Amino acid sequence: MDIRDCFRKYRDEIPRLWTEAVYATYPFETKGVLRTVSDPFGNPGADMTQEAAKGLYDAVAGEETSIDDVRASLERFVKLRAVQRHTPSRALGVFFLLKPIMREKFAPHCATPAAVSDYLTAESRLDSLALMAFDMYMADRETLAQARIDEIRDRYAQIARWARSFKAGSLIAG
Amino acid sequence: MAKLPTPQELIASRPPLSGESWLDVKPEFAPGSFCYPAKKETMELLHMPNPHEWDPTADDWGLPENWEQVLCDAFADRLEKHRSLKLFMDICVRCGACADKCHFFLGTNDPKNMPVLRAELLRSLYRRDHTMLGKILGKAAGARGWDTSVVKELFYYAYQCTECRRCSLFCPYGIDTAEITMIVRELLHEVGLGTHWIMDPVKNCSFTGNHLGIQPHSFVEIVEMLADDCETVTGIRPKTPFNKKNAEILFITPSGDVFADPGIYTFMGYLLLFHELDLDYTLSTYASEGGNFGSFTSFNMAKKLNAKMYAEAERLNVKWILGGECGHMWRVINQYMDTYNGPAPANMIPPVSPITGTAFANAASTKMVHIAEFTADLIHHNKLNLDPSRNDHIITTFHDSCNPARGLGMLDEPRYVLKAVCNNFVEMPENTIREQTFCCGAGSGLNTEEIMELRMRAGMPRGNALRYVQQKFGVNHMACVCAIDRATLPPLANYWAPGVTVSGLHELVANALVMEGEQKRTMDLRQEDLPGIEEDEPAAQEGGE
Repeated sequence: MDIRDCFRKYRDEIPRLWTEAVYATYPFETKGVLRTVSDPFGNPGADMTQEAAKGLYDAVAGEETSIDDVRASLERFVKLRAVQRHTPSRALGVFFLLKPIMREKFAPHCATPAAVSDYLTAESRLDSLALMAFDMYMADRETLAQARIDEIRDRYAQIARWARSFKAGSLIAG
Repeated sequence: MAKLPTPQELIASRPPLSGESWLDVKPEFAPGSFCYPAKKETMELLHMPNPHEWDPTADDWGLPENWEQVLCDAFADRLEKHRSLKLFMDICVRCGACADKCHFFLGTNDPKNMPVLRAELLRSLYRRDHTMLGKILGKAAGARGWDTSVVKELFYYAYQCTECRRCSLFCPYGIDTAEITMIVRELLHEVGLGTHWIMDPVKNCSFTGNHLGIQPHSFVEIVEMLADDCETVTGIRPKTPFNKKNAEILFITPSGDVFADPGIYTFMGYLLLFHELDLDYTLSTYASEGGNFGSFTSFNMAKKLNAKMYAEAERLNVKWILGGECGHMWRVINQYMDTYNGPAPANMIPPVSPITGTAFANAASTKMVHIAEFTADLIHHNKLNLDPSRNDHIITTFHDSCNPARGLGMLDEPRYVLKAVCNNFVEMPENTIREQTFCCGAGSGLNTEEIMELRMRAGMPRGNALRYVQQKFGVNHMACVCAIDRATLPPLANYWAPGVTVSGLHELVANALVMEGEQKRTMDLRQEDLPGIEEDEPAAQEGGE
């Protein structure tokens, strides 16, 4: 079987296994909720993970997809990982949980040098996607840092305007 | 050779994921996950018990020597005082209905942020000293004793609850986890543990009436500046009546609307609306704060800070109080004020709108009316000349603030107003609005910048719903009726749904309000150009900052 066909064959199973692997990184009591509640608004964390799983897998498989679509599918998931108290490696390392899953499924199909080459190309795509996610992660962290600065400014904005309304040397009241 | 961790070990969120029980996993006080502690001098000025300097990241929090006795006595005292607390401790069957309803749990995936388990932190202590089974069987019956790590754990999780009460909506017994959080915070204050972001405003309110401690003359000047800005936009300078005796109405709103962006535009909206109505009202430099951070501290502190509302209503001899757009202010008014400081002074009467003659029967006891109700009544009686097309450049949704929604039951009035002043209104998904609304993630005194990261994960369910309507319906604006929301939703929206702006309801009302004698509006209250206005008209007077 062609590697491309293999990827299509596992299009449901591998993303599901990857989401399970991601859920498994959370505490035991949390996993049950993530697994069982399928409501994009009542259980948004799971919804974000599932969306990322589909987008990630299709991109790794080399399906026809644009970079913007892949980025959009990963965006919420990366944003969530960026604020969940993970170290950067833990936040984004979850993408590499896909490798052992893929290897297990695809190794039996890599009997020819051509198949091995195709498979390794797919794995390389995963590496590139992880780097793209790292850029997204960093942008999110920058947004977070800027939000703290903006908030300090906005919190006293009117008082600052009031203070600036005094001419130099005049008595500042208050 | 040192053994490297496996990829799986490297990414586990809390390694090792052993068989450790959830109760035994202790929180890490990493920067970004806790609020800065209150200053010793602040606590001393407020006569809080056991004031001391301490550092949440340190091993030793400098608790008083007899801390355990203090906490046990205080807990017993609260159980005696609040039957509800005793009931909440006894009645939970751990059905888990609340487990996945908390925005903190959904955002952090930390089991102790499930409301049931957060309450269990206190309930386990309750079992040891106050239940027969707990006394006899101890840990086997889910009981545990106090130690310093338990105190730290209580602090960590009591300040990861915004007292929004979404969980209690789903509890078959109606357990109010918010009140459990309030009690835990009270207990922690007994040993001198509080946060700066809450206690500093409490101190300022105690001494000068508002959160930033702005003194009366300065407060007036700042409001005057906002009136100047109103004139720049509309050509009309609204009245700014302060401390006017015998006015019909006293207007009290959170001071964030006077000091902070974008709240100031909501305040400008109030000024313009009242001016247009020629309302006989007054602002107060004493009751210059509607918010009550005392309610995030202790019941007694909430009572003390709330007292100024009726005291000022009596001093100024007003008939009733109109309240601005605020969240927890309304929970305090609707649920606690009567007990704290009621009955209302004898000079006050059940509120009646002087414009429409509507009697606000729901406010007959407190004598306080929410401005969204007041304005909805005006619109219902066709008393306002509105041009909603001025807001046509926005497609807005509405965020139900937790306290007005679940604490006051005010769900339809703000929507009624919003639909009258905006032509484009879209609801967020059903299970994220009205009674089921998701918190902004930063209420109850958690709206401080040092925990921005925590706020972004706690606000994720709200941000996620907002992002959905942004992508599906092109929503580019979110209105709300809470000053904390106006401060906390802009960064949340910018993170989860960049491009969505946030405002109070009355900013949009004033933008749509056609005032008698106004100049042609070429800009909105933020002094941003209105789209589609021709440039050939005389430009509005430039206002300097």
